[in-house]
Formats: sequence, structure tokens, C-alpha cells
Amino acid sequence: MSVTVSTSAARHVSNFIAKRGKGLGIRLGVRTSGCSGMAYRLEFVDETHEDDVVFESNGVKVIVDQKSLAYLDGTELDFVREGLNEGFKFNNPNVKDSCGCGESFNV
Amino acid sequence: MSIDLQQDFFRLFGLPRRFRIDEAALELAYHDLQGRVHPDRFAHLPDSDKRLSMQWATQVNEGFRTLRKPLSRATYLLELMGVDAGLHTNTAMSPTFLMEQMEWREAVEEARAAGEADELAQLHTRLRQHSREVFDDLARQCDDEQDYAGAAETVRRLMFMEKLQHEIDDALEALES
Amino acid sequence: MALLQIAEPGLSTEPHKHRLAVGIDLGTTNSLVATVRNGIAVCLVDEDGRAMVPSIVRYHADGKVEVGRSAGVAHATDPKNTIISVKRFMGRGVKDVAYIESMPYDFVDADGMLRLRTVQGVKSPVEVSAEILKVLAARAQASLGGELTGAVITVPAYFDDAQRQATKDAAKLAGINVLRLLNEPTAAAVAYGLDNAAEGVYAVYDLGGGTFDLSILKLSRGIFEVLATNGDAALGGDDFDHRLFCWALDQSEIDPPSSEDARRLLLKAREAKELLTACEEAPIKATLGSGEKVDLVVTRDQFADMTKHLVQKTVAPMRKVLRDAGLAPEDIKGVVMVGGATRMPHIQRAVAEFFGQEPLTNLDPDKVVALGAAIQANVLAGNRKDEDDWLLLDVIPLSLGLEMMGGLTEKVVPRNSTLPIARAQEFTTYKDGQTAMAFHVVQGERELVADCRSLARFELRGIPPMAAGAARIRVTFQVDADGLLSVSAREMSSGVEASVLVKPSYGLTDDEIAGMLRDGVERASEDIDARALREQQVEADRVIEATLVALEQDGELLSDEERAAIDAAVAATRETAAGHDPRAIKRSTEALSRATNEFAARRMDKSIRSALAGHKVDEIQV
Repeated sequence: MSVTVSTSAARHVSNFIAKRGKGLGIRLGVRTSGCSGMAYRLEFVDETHEDDVVFESNGVKVIVDQKSLAYLDGTELDFVREGLNEGFKFNNPNVKDSCGCGESFNV
Repeated sequence: MSIDLQQDFFRLFGLPRRFRIDEAALELAYHDLQGRVHPDRFAHLPDSDKRLSMQWATQVNEGFRTLRKPLSRATYLLELMGVDAGLHTNTAMSPTFLMEQMEWREAVEEARAAGEADELAQLHTRLRQHSREVFDDLARQCDDEQDYAGAAETVRRLMFMEKLQHEIDDALEALES
Repeated sequence: MALLQIAEPGLSTEPHKHRLAVGIDLGTTNSLVATVRNGIAVCLVDEDGRAMVPSIVRYHADGKVEVGRSAGVAHATDPKNTIISVKRFMGRGVKDVAYIESMPYDFVDADGMLRLRTVQGVKSPVEVSAEILKVLAARAQASLGGELTGAVITVPAYFDDAQRQATKDAAKLAGINVLRLLNEPTAAAVAYGLDNAAEGVYAVYDLGGGTFDLSILKLSRGIFEVLATNGDAALGGDDFDHRLFCWALDQSEIDPPSSEDARRLLLKAREAKELLTACEEAPIKATLGSGEKVDLVVTRDQFADMTKHLVQKTVAPMRKVLRDAGLAPEDIKGVVMVGGATRMPHIQRAVAEFFGQEPLTNLDPDKVVALGAAIQANVLAGNRKDEDDWLLLDVIPLSLGLEMMGGLTEKVVPRNSTLPIARAQEFTTYKDGQTAMAFHVVQGERELVADCRSLARFELRGIPPMAAGAARIRVTFQVDADGLLSVSAREMSSGVEASVLVKPSYGLTDDEIAGMLRDGVERASEDIDARALREQQVEADRVIEATLVALEQDGELLSDEERAAIDAAVAATRETAAGHDPRAIKRSTEALSRATNEFAARRMDKSIRSALAGHKVDEIQV
């Protein structure tokens, strides 16, 4: 099982954590809600919990809780620019359909 | 169970009802209270919360302003003790004090007329020094002797001195601009 | 497809419910918009990577409105319709604006605030500013991929009530929800203080394009407390340009030029000023419409000498602000420089000399205000956890008062009072049987009403006839956290309450703003309806969410009955919000808000009690 970050995403994450002044890594997760049933979570991590799984990818610690991992296995977090907008994108092979907004999905 | 918006300011900041207060504790309590009631904490909430927050923050500011400055703190304390230190009710001042005031005033007037900014600044410092001594008397009267009538007279004297202080400030400002 | 940002731990929002908040620096010369993304404040840039939008608006004959750099291109050829430095006109009449005679515009003096006649009709400075704000908001929405929840808009600390109100009206007109008006030096202090973990007393010296502010702030344990503020709402980098421009005319022995030539030469003067920051001398070269040529070289020393009086004008406020704060120059731990004009070496020298230390310039003086505003907007929108918040305690810059007999002012709210503040003063009737009383609200430090700014006049009617001196009329001034004033008056003695609420006359009425919104050519009526619906739905969602959070945290403060009433109001609001009637949504949202009034009061009490519980027992009154 694995969750990875692209080199571009890793560079940005490291930069953001450095400027924020604290943080062990980032948390990727899913929770039920949104128009297609599931929604992504992307947060800084200051402390880990018991059921967390920690991956390391391109020098960044990626923390995923057990429950979310089932939906995120094989996911790559990427950083992209679209016009003036820029931000992170989950490339998740488990997704069957998403709501078009990219924030929620179905498996 | 609701806390009364009109409760006295000493209680509001958790301080004993005295003239001598722990200024650091006052400031700490002020920051702590504002941290909870300030409108910035309610900017994303409904209007009813915003209104309430503004009322509370206004009251907390008013309380801090009243207690922070020794003269307004003393006036307020005397008011709570049922003594009105207001000038209107009792203007009888000791002749020695009035004489002293006239001398101060003349000195300020002379320096102003001569455009002596340094002299004014010196008067300012001396007056501040002098009022510090009077404040010591006031603290004794309020907290040690519970002589509220005497304290009220001291407060009136300090009001005169504060007014003079403002006049020096204004004169300095006028010289600068 | 929306792109994600990294949230603070535990603060990921629901899909489509991101609270996108920005900080806007609406400057005299340039404007910027910034936001907090992935935990960091950044200025948002255009396609070419530029953060600054020149505050220039051009009205075209075909109804097009152009904003920014491209609008500036025409500022010498179409000066009447190309408005620069509009901030100088906000909340101002024709007689209030310096060098108005050398400006190329077609002014219309209107009650309270001047207007500008353009090819698209008469425009108020509020409308012109709204055009700049619209461009910034559009950039923010494109960059963040969604609708804005709200914005913090910065204003000079020394702006009076009329200028603040005008700024807020401009935002309203641009369709922006204003979370807070924030003073520019305070915004800069937030950006600086949080970046440097500063503690102690700091001075912020903020010389912008058209305004000068000086604030003294005490930074301790996450509290930014403004001790005093002073300044000049009509002094800035523009004045240095203007001085150099006059010098160039003088040296070249040229008669007052046409407005086109004046614009051209003013631009050359500004370029020379900017060059002098890095170079010892700079050329001023221009060929005028008349064929006359300007060909000069100005040295740094010459420039410093001819603008000495302007630098001096910033020194008096420095003295005053220290005196108001009860401090001496050596009490100041650091001086933060803000605004592009502080790059001028002789300004830096004067500040260093006054405070006896080199000023701090480690943050970009052009961006620091917008960045600080973005940080505050992020907090106000609720995107951070309470415990790692800081708090801004700001002050009112100028005293507020009432006109008394003989044209004298009676101060009601003194300057440098911490906001929010309320003050009441009692008055009485002077004639037997008097049933009405007139009030005149003013702002300023001078003794005479004529030397202060007139904010509003109002009359209290319906006072029951009584003997002279028997009526007790209480006038209350309330200044909110934005520094905006409302005044009410009430007759106390008879039990009859007649009260009026006054909004200062320089602000536009809600009807006027609605009218301007309707006049927007590009906005079809369906758009307005759709917008109204969306706004009400967003508001309903916000109130429901806030109520649910409150119930979760403090539900035990309610009886079963009270709880049931609030639950019912939530359900009713949910139902109307799913429909398409904005007025029904508004009604149910307001009903919900009313239903939670008492609950909110109890929660506030609980919070204050726990604040007191944090103190040692022996501190509490015996």
C-alpha cells in the first residue's frame, strides 16, 4: 500500500511547512460528505494519532489514517496551476466518478 | 444567571475594590476578556452575536479605560463608595492649594508667551513628579485610612493638576506647529 | 475543477464551503489583493505575475470601464476620463482637496462628497473606487477558484468617518462583503509582528501615495494594541511628485501647461523621484504639446532640499503621537516602514534621526499592508482555531463631538479611544415647551466647529412640552470595530422615548447604493435576482452552521423547550434556503437569528466567567 507526492507537490509542501514554522508533514484523508459521497481532506500535521500510517515520499511525510487508506491507496498528490489558480490535486486510481468539482468523489 | 452589563468594573476584571491595583493583572484580565468578546471573534457569526459582542467589548474597553488611569480609577472608586468627587458639588479648595495653582499657571503662561518649549517641557516633568506625590496621598486615604471625604478633595486637586498638564501639552503643540 | 489547499489541522472545510477571504489594500497609487494559502500570506498576481494594480480607472465613450496599467496608458491623452489617485477624493468636498485647480478633471461639487463628470456621466469617488475593487475581487476569485466569503479592506489610520464610510460603500457597490475595515499601519504591524515574533512597542511609519499615518503599537502575547495614532490624510508620495513637477516648470520657465502636458510631466517627475532612490541624479525630459522642451537633471540633494518641508510635515505627527502614547523616542523598540514613498533616502534619514535608530525595511513596503490584511481576513472568516489567534485592539484617530452654543465643539469621544466605544452625554432644553432639538455631529481636534469636519446634522422631535431645563436628552455615540460612528438621541425624563439613528451624511444611503447597482449596464436584472438569492442562501448557511456549532459546544445551556424552538427555527431556515425566494430565506434567517439571541448571551456569559476563572482566587474581590 502506498500514497505518494509528486516532486512538484513535495517542493511546495516543504516550502509551506518551512514558512509555517512547524509541522511534521501533511495529512491526506477522506470523509463522507459532499455531492458524490466522499470528500478529500488535506491538512498540516502537528501530531500523529494511533491509527495513522506514515509514508515518506520525495522527502515529505504523508500521514493517512487507516480508514482513509482504503480509499486512497495508490493516490499521488500533485501540485498544478490552472490559469491564475494553483493548488493540490489528488490523482486517485480508486475513483469511479467525481462531482466535477474535484472536491468530492465516489468509489 | 446572566452577568450584569452594569456590574462594577473591579469585579469585571477580577480585581479587589481598591485604589492600589496590580496593573499587570488588570492588563492581563483585559486582554483575556477582549480575547473572548471582541467583534473580531464574531465577524463570521450572525448579526445577533455581533451586536452582543460589540456591547460587551465596549463595556470591557470602558472598564479598562476607567481603571487604568489613576485619576478616573479613584473617581470611580469613590463613586462606588457613595462619594461624589465631582467639582460641581464642592468647589471649596484650600487657599494654599489655590495659591500654588496660580503660581504654576503663571509659570506656564510666561513660558508660553516667551515661546520657551524647553521651559514648558521642564514644567511638564516637574508637575508630573509633583502629582505622583499627591497620588501617594490619595492611595493612603483610599486604601489605608478609608478617608473617602479626604480622598475626594485630593481627587479634585489632581483634576486641577491634570487640567494644567493638558494646558502645557496644548501650548507645546501650538509651539511645534 | 477546484484545486485544494492545505488547511490547518482539523479545519478542512466541507466541499464547496471554503471560506475564501482576502485582504485588499486599496491604495492611492496602487492597489493589491492578498490571501492566505497553505498557511502563508501571498499577494495574488495577474497573468504577467504582477501583484500591483495601478489605482487608475478610465471611462470609455462606449461604456467600457478599464482599470489598472492599461487605463494608465491614456492618462496623458484622455485625462478627464482617466481618474488617478481617486482615494484623495473619498468622502471629500471640492474645497478639501489640495491642488484641485491643477487637476484635469471636471469636478461637480455635491453635498458632502465631490463628483467627477466623465464621458459616462457623473461619477462619485465611491463608484470609481468600486471599479478598482471589482477588478481585485475578480482576480481573487479566478486565483482561488470560488466565490469570496469576504474581505478585509485597509484604510489609512487617519481616515475620518466620512472617508471610512465611503470606502465601505465602495466595497458594497463592488459586491464585496466587508469583514472589517483595518487600519493600514495596523495591518503592516500584523504582517511584521507575526513574521518576526516581535514583542515590545513599535512605531509604524506609513507614507503611501496620498496618505501619511503613524501608529504606535504595543505587541505582547499575541495582542496588537494600538496606543496612539496620528497622521495626515492628505500627504503622500504624490506631493513629492508634484513638488518636483513644479520645480521642473519653474526651471524650464514654462507657463502653466495644458492638462495633457501636466500629466505627461508629472509622470516624468515621478520616474525621476523613483530613480533618485538608487541614483545620485536623474533626468527629466519631455516634449510638450506646444513644442516646448523640458530637459533637466535633478540631483538627490536638490530633490531632498525642495521637499524638505514635506518631510518636516511628517515630523510633527511623530512628536504628537509619542506624547499621546506617553512615550519618548527611546521607548520605541523598532520602526517599521510602510508604503513605497518610504524608499526615499531622505525620508529614511529623517525617521532614523528622530527615533535614534535605523528603521526596519525587511518586508516589502508595497506589499506588507495587503499581506497583513489577508492574515486578518483569514482569522475573521473563521479559518483558524481560536487558541492560536491573536487580537487587534485599534483606536479612533480623531475625536468625535457635538456643536455647542457659540460654534464650539464639545468632545464626546476622545481620539485614541480603543474601539469599540460608546459614550453618552446629556443635554436639556433651553426654552419652555420646546419639543425639538437640533444636533450637529463633528470630527476633529479643534475648538471651533468651523475647523472640524461636519459629519451629520439631525433633529430630535417629539419631546413632550416641559419647562426649560426639565427635559433630559441623552445623546449616545457608538463607534464600532470598523471605526464607524452611529449616533442616537433619546428623551429620558418623561418616559417617552423618541430616538433617532443617524448615519453620517457623507456616506451614501442604502437606496443610493441600490440605485448605483441597478445602473450597472452590464448587469441584467436576472443577474441581480440570482445574486440576491445566492447571497441569502450563503447567509442562511452561515447562520445555520454557526448555530449548530454553538449547540454542539454549549447545548447544555438550554432547556429542552428552548432547544426545541431553536431546532425548529434551524429546520425552517433549511427549508426556505432550499427554495428560490430570497425574501423568505431572509425572513427565516432573521427569525433564527432572533431565536438564538438569548442563547448567544448565555454563551458570552459563560465565556467571560471562564476568563475570570482563569485568575487566581486571591485576585478576585473579597
